[in-house]
Amino acid sequence: MTQLSPPATTASPAPDRPAARTRTRRGRADRKPRVLVAVTALFFALLYLPIAVVTLFSFNSQKSLTVFSGFSLRWYRAFAHDDVLISSLGTSLRISLVATAGSIVLGVALALGLVRSRTRLGSLAGLIMLVPLITPEIVTGVASMLLFKGLGVTLSTGTVMVSEITFSISYVTVILRSRVAALNPEVEEAAMDLGATRWQAVRLVTLPALLPAVLASAVLIFALVFDDFVLAYFTTGVDPQPLSVRIYSAIRFGVQPTINAVGTLMLAGSIGLIALALFIPRLFGRRGGLDILSGS
Amino acid sequence: MDETHAVRLTGVSKRFADTYAVRDLNLDIEAGLFFSLLGPSGCGKTTSLRMIGGFTDPTEGSVLLAGEDVTALPPNKRNVNTVFQSYALFDHLSIADNVAFGLKRKGVEKAEIRRRVGEMLELVQLDGFAGRKPRTLSGGQRQRVALARALVNRPAVLLLDEPLAALDLKLRRQMQVELKQIQREVGITFVFVTHDQDEALTMSDRICVMNEGRVEQCGTPEDVYEHPASRFVASFMGTSNLMTGTYRGGEVTLDQGPALPVGPRAAIADGTPVSVSLRPEKVWLSDFEPGMSVLRGVIRDTVYSGPTTTYLIELAPGVTLSVLEQNTARARMEDRWSGGETVEFGWRPEHCLVLA
Repeated sequence: MTQLSPPATTASPAPDRPAARTRTRRGRADRKPRVLVAVTALFFALLYLPIAVVTLFSFNSQKSLTVFSGFSLRWYRAFAHDDVLISSLGTSLRISLVATAGSIVLGVALALGLVRSRTRLGSLAGLIMLVPLITPEIVTGVASMLLFKGLGVTLSTGTVMVSEITFSISYVTVILRSRVAALNPEVEEAAMDLGATRWQAVRLVTLPALLPAVLASAVLIFALVFDDFVLAYFTTGVDPQPLSVRIYSAIRFGVQPTINAVGTLMLAGSIGLIALALFIPRLFGRRGGLDILSGS
Repeated sequence: MDETHAVRLTGVSKRFADTYAVRDLNLDIEAGLFFSLLGPSGCGKTTSLRMIGGFTDPTEGSVLLAGEDVTALPPNKRNVNTVFQSYALFDHLSIADNVAFGLKRKGVEKAEIRRRVGEMLELVQLDGFAGRKPRTLSGGQRQRVALARALVNRPAVLLLDEPLAALDLKLRRQMQVELKQIQREVGITFVFVTHDQDEALTMSDRICVMNEGRVEQCGTPEDVYEHPASRFVASFMGTSNLMTGTYRGGEVTLDQGPALPVGPRAAIADGTPVSVSLRPEKVWLSDFEPGMSVLRGVIRDTVYSGPTTTYLIELAPGVTLSVLEQNTARARMEDRWSGGETVEFGWRPEHCLVLA
């Protein structure tokens, strides 16, 4: 807290009173807002305690989910030897990679198209593109499943990938659209002026300018798809199942501490991704990775 | 086909929705000149430039470069390069890679690229900046990179879209001189778009004044300034005392005021309503020469601006004339005329121009 300094130059006698009043107001503001502290603490407790418990019990030496009886990596070992969970992890990683790649390619193309199209159809497409963001995921999930069934497509890892791509394009587009709109159209023209074809101009100039936002949204999409449950649940085949669906089925038959280990590993992975997302913009010499994540 | 014309626009129009940005434009730009398109914003000068560059398709007419019709060709197939108003540098590339961009597209040999990029950076005094990124450069430096990036391709014509508009006044003056020097050095035709008449006057070999999508007048800077072809040109190029009156036998009788003897002008019937233009610096306040028209008026205002003083002289009720005088002889305040004084002022009749 800085001290109140008396008015330096004015010799008027008036400032005494207002200064005093300011001091009382300051005093009130100086008091610690205990209620706010409590609410904040409660908020963080509710948010992170369950995760802390999962992490803690993933290292439990016994099977109990209530009594911590000693540190061990037993459940991590169990996970490593659980072929079903491992194959589900592989499936989830595959789905995430394909969905990320697919939705990035389509989403970037859509963002470029939406920003540059001046037709009414273009603005209509821009609005429709937002619908998946506000549709309850369960509706999307059930609808996707019914669509696949109606078309006679057997549900499989492939159908999960298609649904996840469809769902993720909106996110990519929303993040990238503002970036594309902020690009100077003269830069692409300059590339063409210097001998590039339209496609070369996009590839050599526009895409590199979008790269930080593209990478950040890729990380985001990867994380979203990897732990997505609802969409995966409705569109997956029987075998192999994505990890989230597998964990859900496992929990229905009693909670295994192995799941805690899986959860902790996923948590570590997510933190790693977020760190990556924050670090990517630094690579491009810009500060403030979070604003890229939020797309502004 | 006339090969001495670097650029030729014939009957070019550009319509956006139902308004014409450019209307029936005919331009012949001789090779090797510094050619300026001058006009207020919205006059169609940038649209004209973009049609030469290939970024905007003309609604009608054709664009010829060195005698070849390029109307249907995209920018990358035209032997012109552009310096954009925003510079449009590639932020993710180094200065050297920015400059090398065009040469790489053309498939020029690596060693050759390196040599030419080095030469060009030297020409724009940016040697030593090759590895820097555009973001780390000042406005003036970025402007030079944009220039180097375009010039390194040795285009037949360089198009410049208000390249100095974003610079502060002092830097702008400096870049005006430098640009002109560079143009002389490389000998490439420059087509320069600007709304700044000072800039156009000091830099150009030819100026084309545009207004509302049409050409008002084309000529040397002296032509355009000393012999404006229209009221618009007279008022847009510098300041001018514009008055209206009626022409009668070598004199124009002002609507409210005396008759002014005017310079020779072909074929104006007596009784035609005309405008007359008299530049402030063409009016003398002392040491009149024989043959000058001399009148009397009352000084209404004086504006001192360092090297010059501007007097506002009322020569008849409601008719004032702005007169510019060098402060060569009168250094002290009390030596200058002040408000309310009656003075004599005169001019050579040929400086009082009749505009249709």
